[in-house]
Amino acid sequence: MKLHEITITVNGTRESVSVPAGMTLLELLREKLYLTGPKEGCGAGECGACTVLLDGRPVTSCLVLAVEADGKDVRTIEGEATDGQLSALQRAFIDAGAIQCGFCTPGMVMSARALLERNPHPSDAEITEAISGNLCRCTGYESIIAAVRLAAERGEK
Amino acid sequence: MIGTFEYVRVGSIKEGCEILVAQDKRAVALAGGTDLLVNIRNTGRSPDLLVDFKQVEQMNDLVTDSDAGVKIGACVPLNVIADNRPINERHGALAQAARSIGSYQVRNRATLGGNIANASPAADTAPALLVLGASVNVEGKDGSREIPIDELFTGVKKTSLKQGEVITDIVLPSLGSQVRSAFIKKQRVRGHDLAIINMAACYSPDTGMLRVAIGSCAVTPILLPEVAVSMDEPIDELVKRLNVVAQDAISPIDDIRASAEYRRGLVPVLLHDLIRYVLSPGGGRR
Ligand SMILES: Cc1cc2nc3c(=O)[nH]c(=O)nc-3n(C[C@H](O)[C@H](O)[C@H](O)COP(=O)(O)OP(=O)(O)OC[C@H]3O[C@@H](n4cnc5c(N)ncnc54)[C@H](O)[C@@H]3O)c2cc1C
Ligand code: FES
Ligand code: FES
Repeated sequence: MKLHEITITVNGTRESVSVPAGMTLLELLREKLYLTGPKEGCGAGECGACTVLLDGRPVTSCLVLAVEADGKDVRTIEGEATDGQLSALQRAFIDAGAIQCGFCTPGMVMSARALLERNPHPSDAEITEAISGNLCRCTGYESIIAAVRLAAERGEK
Repeated sequence: MIGTFEYVRVGSIKEGCEILVAQDKRAVALAGGTDLLVNIRNTGRSPDLLVDFKQVEQMNDLVTDSDAGVKIGACVPLNVIADNRPINERHGALAQAARSIGSYQVRNRATLGGNIANASPAADTAPALLVLGASVNVEGKDGSREIPIDELFTGVKKTSLKQGEVITDIVLPSLGSQVRSAFIKKQRVRGHDLAIINMAACYSPDTGMLRVAIGSCAVTPILLPEVAVSMDEPIDELVKRLNVVAQDAISPIDDIRASAEYRRGLVPVLLHDLIRYVLSPGGGRR
């Protein structure tokens, strides 16, 4: 099987790797770069657990080929904290009690991150719309919406 | 690993078409991959080669001009269309249909070209493009041609594209500023399921003509014959009149989403909401 040499920037670090065409971006992140924050829930674009930012826009990384990400910028949940300090958005998720089992959280935070970057003061309806591609089986969503609202109030960009 | 295919990224339409033709049926075009990759994953059947057109500049252009109409590159993601101001104002049905598809993440990848080339009877942009009178520019080894949208869909997942031909862009004719269009659908779970039934309408006050198209109710999306509307006619009468035409034109089936009977029953309900909206003066936005 032919391997493709690709270079991607992941959470600010340039990575050069060789990947087969059939490898997804999610598999590259988890199995080659050991960034196991993004999760595989469905593998088919439905659950959002694998959400990462590709050139700043949230995508389901289970439906992106690693080769397609060549030359692009990728951000994952691992890029949220700096120097061991949680981002204000992560802090808001904890303060609002928006995490139970945590399986959806890495994707949820990345969708919220992208929302706050394009719209620093979203309405509840806009928050709901932005996370509608992220399923959570535990929280009932209310606390997640409250977390994003809290992050916005605290001026998280 | 999602499949055993090879991958090539092309920089021009010509390069891509040459590969598609040379590889015959072993190669397929890749746009956002939200249909193609899911399909490969679910069936376990891979083409030998995916030809990625997303980097072709021309296929990413979106040109809106109130006189000449709108030209949307086949690889423009649905979110870009949903957020485009002139399209929302002048060709509302398409912006609404694009916004209704999947989730925000899916719409960042999914393209307009992919939605129609995939030719699902439930493709949400199809009824919108039908009522807006869109046409599709395609290119292949024999050069380029234009296909009116109502001649593109020929069956379930079948189009009139020839082997090796790709959609380069979709053109919406310029419509007067008075023209109002809208899209509506019924689905089980928003963002996570295809439509049980979807519908679009476009009304031109200048000519008094109304166009309606229905999806998910036959092997292809269906454009009903245009009807003349008089403002004196009560909405309920107009819906009744259109419902007769629609029931005759559709041939819905029972499937996992709904029964044929339920789909038929929904037609007048959706027609009513949609038509009231496009006929109401000052409409255009929901
Ligand atoms: C979670 C989820 C939810 C979804 N919800 C909806 C929904 O609500 N409504 C809806 O309509 N769809 C929905 N879809 C289906 C899909 O997202 C859309 O049909 C999308 O627009 C397909 O575009 P794409 O760019 O991803 O196409 P791809 O998957 O890249 O391609 C689809 C097909 O079209 C061909 N193709 C692509 N581009 C071209 C071109 N330019 N010329 C010729 N052939 C081409 C490919 O070879 C392939 O056969 C959903 C998908 C997922 C995963
Ligand atoms: S694992 Fe990607 S959307 Fe579910
Ligand atoms: S916290 Fe368990 S899935 Fe969301």
